[in-house]
Amino acid sequence: MPRTKEPPTLYSVHKTFIWFAVISLVLTFSLAAIVYVDYVREWKTYQKKFIRLKTDRAKKELKEAEAKIDKKKLESLEKQLKDADAALTSHSSGRMSLEIRLGRLDTEVTKARSQTQNLKQFEDSAKYFFEETRSHNDPKASEYEKKLKELTPKLSQAKLNLEKLEKEIEEKQSALNGMTAAEKSIQKSIDRVLEDKNRMERKIKLIEPTLAKDILNAPMVDFIAPSLRIQQVVLEDLEDDYHFTKVQKVDRCTTCHLGIDQKDFSDAPQPFKTHPNLDLYLGPHSPHPVEKFGCTVCHGGNGHSVSFKDSAHTPHSEAQMKEWRKKYHWEELEKWDAKMLPVNFTQAACAKCHHGTVEVPFADKLNKGRKLAEVNGCFNCHKVSGFENRWKVGPDLERVGSKLSEQWIEKWVEDPRSFRDSTKMPRSFHLSNTASPEDRERNKTAIKAIAAYLVKNSESVEFKKPTLSGDSKNGEKLVTELGCVACHTVGGTAIPPLADNRHGPELSGLGSKVTSDWLHTWLKNPKHFSPNTRMPNLRLSDQEAADITEYLLSQKNTTFESKPPVEADPKVMDELILTSLEATLRRTEAEVELAKMTPEDRLQYLGKKSIGQQGCYTCHTIKGFEDIKPIGADLSNEGKKDIHQFDFGFTKIDRTRQAFITQKLKDPRVFDQGKEKSYYDKLRMPQFNFNDEEIEALTTFILSLSEEHIPLQMQKRLDLKEERIEKGRLLVSKLNCTGCHALDGKPGSLRESMEDKGNAPPVLDGEGAKVQEKWLHEFLKNPATIRPWLRARMPTFDLTEEETKTLVEYFANLAHEEVSYKGYEIPAPAPERLEAGKTLFTKLQCAKCHEINAASTAMGSSFLAPDLTLSRERLKPEWVKQWVTDPQVLQEGTMMPTFFPEGQSPITDIFGGDAKEQIEALRDYLYTYEKAPESQ
Amino acid sequence: MFDSFEHLIDAVSSPVTIFTFATAVFILFVTFPRQLTSKWVSLGTLFLVLAFFGIGLTDEHFRKIVSTPDNVPIVGLMFIFGYFTWFAMKKAVENDRRIEKGEPTVEQLETNDKVLVFPYLIFIEFVIALAYGAMLVIWSLWLKAPLEEPANPTVSPNPSKAPWYFLGLQEMLVYFDPWIAGVLLPTFIIIGLCAIPYIDRDPANSGFYCYKARRAVIIAYLFGFWILWILLIIMGTFLRGPNWNFFGPFEVWNVHKVVPLVNVNLSEIVFIKWLGVGLPKQWFIREWPGFAVLFLYFAIPPAVLARTALKDVYKKLEPTRYLVLVILLLVMIALPIKMYLRWAFNLKYLVAIPEFFFNI
Repeated sequence: MPRTKEPPTLYSVHKTFIWFAVISLVLTFSLAAIVYVDYVREWKTYQKKFIRLKTDRAKKELKEAEAKIDKKKLESLEKQLKDADAALTSHSSGRMSLEIRLGRLDTEVTKARSQTQNLKQFEDSAKYFFEETRSHNDPKASEYEKKLKELTPKLSQAKLNLEKLEKEIEEKQSALNGMTAAEKSIQKSIDRVLEDKNRMERKIKLIEPTLAKDILNAPMVDFIAPSLRIQQVVLEDLEDDYHFTKVQKVDRCTTCHLGIDQKDFSDAPQPFKTHPNLDLYLGPHSPHPVEKFGCTVCHGGNGHSVSFKDSAHTPHSEAQMKEWRKKYHWEELEKWDAKMLPVNFTQAACAKCHHGTVEVPFADKLNKGRKLAEVNGCFNCHKVSGFENRWKVGPDLERVGSKLSEQWIEKWVEDPRSFRDSTKMPRSFHLSNTASPEDRERNKTAIKAIAAYLVKNSESVEFKKPTLSGDSKNGEKLVTELGCVACHTVGGTAIPPLADNRHGPELSGLGSKVTSDWLHTWLKNPKHFSPNTRMPNLRLSDQEAADITEYLLSQKNTTFESKPPVEADPKVMDELILTSLEATLRRTEAEVELAKMTPEDRLQYLGKKSIGQQGCYTCHTIKGFEDIKPIGADLSNEGKKDIHQFDFGFTKIDRTRQAFITQKLKDPRVFDQGKEKSYYDKLRMPQFNFNDEEIEALTTFILSLSEEHIPLQMQKRLDLKEERIEKGRLLVSKLNCTGCHALDGKPGSLRESMEDKGNAPPVLDGEGAKVQEKWLHEFLKNPATIRPWLRARMPTFDLTEEETKTLVEYFANLAHEEVSYKGYEIPAPAPERLEAGKTLFTKLQCAKCHEINAASTAMGSSFLAPDLTLSRERLKPEWVKQWVTDPQVLQEGTMMPTFFPEGQSPITDIFGGDAKEQIEALRDYLYTYEKAPESQ
Repeated sequence: MFDSFEHLIDAVSSPVTIFTFATAVFILFVTFPRQLTSKWVSLGTLFLVLAFFGIGLTDEHFRKIVSTPDNVPIVGLMFIFGYFTWFAMKKAVENDRRIEKGEPTVEQLETNDKVLVFPYLIFIEFVIALAYGAMLVIWSLWLKAPLEEPANPTVSPNPSKAPWYFLGLQEMLVYFDPWIAGVLLPTFIIIGLCAIPYIDRDPANSGFYCYKARRAVIIAYLFGFWILWILLIIMGTFLRGPNWNFFGPFEVWNVHKVVPLVNVNLSEIVFIKWLGVGLPKQWFIREWPGFAVLFLYFAIPPAVLARTALKDVYKKLEPTRYLVLVILLLVMIALPIKMYLRWAFNLKYLVAIPEFFFNI
């Protein structure tokens, strides 16, 4: 460059060169930085760590394998090998010549084979042209014929030659094998001894990092065949919904979670740990293989991402969050909605595909949450799609005036737990957002008005007075024996598996609640007072009813009785009425309207307003609220609801769905904290007093509510049979059948609690295969005694036709039976067959247990068996046969003896000892069996 | 540590204070360019600004807003534009001094020594291009492009902000009807920029930095650029939060913030407040005060100015070009006027005709 006089300002070429040099360096640096940033990835570190872990483990196993080797055996084998080798060398000349000959033969055979193949091709070709030309009468045909004739003998000669050579090879080879046989077999034994060691060595070689692998993993060349690579599952039938488009789900979680589907890593550190339940998930034979389901469809999160933060991991606790922040630089992904579910809520995802069933298999927490929601009436206030068919959980209040006093209602509504701690009725008043002195006054006035409204709008019912005087002691006994405790807790008689006996209210302090007239009438027939009650009729005799009434009324709750009555302030009442009227009227008009009301009118107006506002009518049937929509928000998509749509108010909790729901269940009114709201604008979800475990279960359930679309083929779809079973399951849950009976995997609370199972309500597993549908239908509508010695009583549920049908179909389908109301006729047996049956019946002493008399009762109730006179209508013929053949198969632990062990009859003189014939004869006799006239 | 300072700044921050303060600084700058571009004042100002940022960065919220990857360029923009304005003014002041003394300008001195475009200029440009390339690479490695959640048609981001270069327009939406802020004003800006070479055809004083000789033109331009464009972008980026509410630089962006918006139209002020009669039913009667004000605003000043202050300009440009210039200037000035009317009188629209969606 020409160097001229430097101009004064910017034009210094020298300086520009310096800048050029500096910037070149910076550019080089930035290029290196590009490569570095692109190359160094979080997941590679994990893959390297995993390789190290795997190698270490393999090496350890190798050591173990080495230790296991029988050294002595190995030594002696090696010595044998040496000896054999030495022996072989002694006549090595013969072996040598054999080997040389074999080598030569090998070449010859190859030559001969190729010659044969060539000739074969020429012959085939000649054959084709000959046939082809001949069919056209082409003169060339003769030419081809000649050629063919020449080739055929040549080919067969070549073949013969080849065969000869092959034979010679075989001979020579076997001769050689004979010489080395001993050596080979020893080598094989050595290999067997070293098998494990060699296998581990091969494995280590495969996974161990090598220089070649390092080169293939190096930057810029790592596109060829790197051993560190992103692992992914592309899921054909699952999609990620990006609002405007749906794309196939791709899960790359296994890039870091490398041991997730391998059994051996259950004790490895994260992220390499084995999935805790491989039988249910990931495994190729599990119902959810990883190739089909991937990971994020259950766990949530961003499956495409391969970094800890961007894959939207969600900590399950404060402590874990802190740990993650430190370890993985975790932070909340603000801009990503599909975050992972914290592990304690993962079960919420099950419901994406498993819907329409009462329970989801293996999802205990979710099931518990569902059950809690059902029992506590969540579905009464909140519409949730899929759960519309639930019943009102609170009792009818249409006739409450004739059951309870106004004062009692007031005290109860003010704080239900002050009467009964275990009540499911939540508290609506004096909660965190209505606890100020002014609000307390308003609450009290509203409560007073509610009670007044309920009593005023109540029909009167006639009660039957107990005519007999009751015996409290006997009443207490009856309550336990008849099975009341299967649904109710009575005076602390909680039976151990508490699961089902919170079905009905706890029966304590009734003496401070109801009159004996009411209770007596109720016990005699609950439907008389409340046509929609779920309480069944136990067909109590007058004496029984009187005894139980006496017993239950003897318990009083004095603290509740001494609670001061609720007082209403007329001024507050007027203020509340005005506020309420002002919603539709101008202030002056509202005042005029108010002035028109008598004090009674005011009470009624405010009562109606308060019931409507608090939503009492959603759980209870109340006159005047027949067609009013429930007050709760629709929760059908709560698990996917946009986070901005939750009003967290001024609470200091995490801005997540799970945190919101948990907090809401803990204190439903907490989000009003620090807000200025008028009385009627405040949050109104009542306080249920759930414990932490229940809250977690309920939160899991609520998070499971989403309208996310999963392709139909990926969902668990119910067939007609399963649908019928589920319909039945719902009814079973509504009626609490499992409070008494063991059924469908549930032990039956009452049955469980009884030591002597002979006195317990029967097991109903397999009932559909056992009893005839027609009989079952009849029985459910109108239960008859089958086991007269049982004290527990099958109640009359007054089922509708629809419900009865549902249950019959439920039992039948559960036992894989077809529903048939036609009955199960068997052909009329020959008289001698009946005679044989009768003989067997006597010889096997069936009547000993199946007939109830003084002698059998003395044996103890576990030896007693059902009345056989019902057999013809009740039992399915096929079932009787199976039952008699081997009762233990159908019902494990039954007291029914196995008379025909392994198909052998103990009685040889009937039908020549043919067990099958005998069983059939026995059954045929049974179907004609009539009870012997009352003996003695 | 700086809590009280931060609270004070938040308390005094509002669109009106910031706009007024910026205008005041601007007036100071154009009035005393020599003093304000002197070494110590410049360094002092830079120090103050850096100190403000330094203190600000101790605040979590401020840090979050300022360091968001898409906001970082705006921070850079403030400093770069500030520097170039300062640089140009410094040079202009220097040349003014030289002209006053009768010396040749810096540029005239430089043009005596000539070098060839190639290689000298091209070489420098090449090095600069490389430097920019390196800078962009390092920047992109350091600050990752913010990847947000998949767009959801049912959820609009709050605040919904325009790209940074349109934030000035979005800020105008607060004061004007969309058709003015979104259509009319941008059109005027483009037309105005295109019109500059046709209006300012004076070859004198071109080719070097100067201020005194071209004071009015420079002030008009800098006002439009700095106050009515850059300032609005900065406010839109850093101080407008959810629901386009105004937040102080240290104030947390609370989605639920509620501020009263009790704006009234001119017709309501005239007919209800002053005259005490109801609003006329016919829009052309109801809106005549607005139309009158507009007519006066666009008719009187050009006529008066042509005879008084801008007599020479009028002569030089002749009626058409003069009219174009004055109208453009009036439209530009209309923006701050409207802003102050809003702040002072809660004035919503001068002319409000909801009957056919026409508001001014």
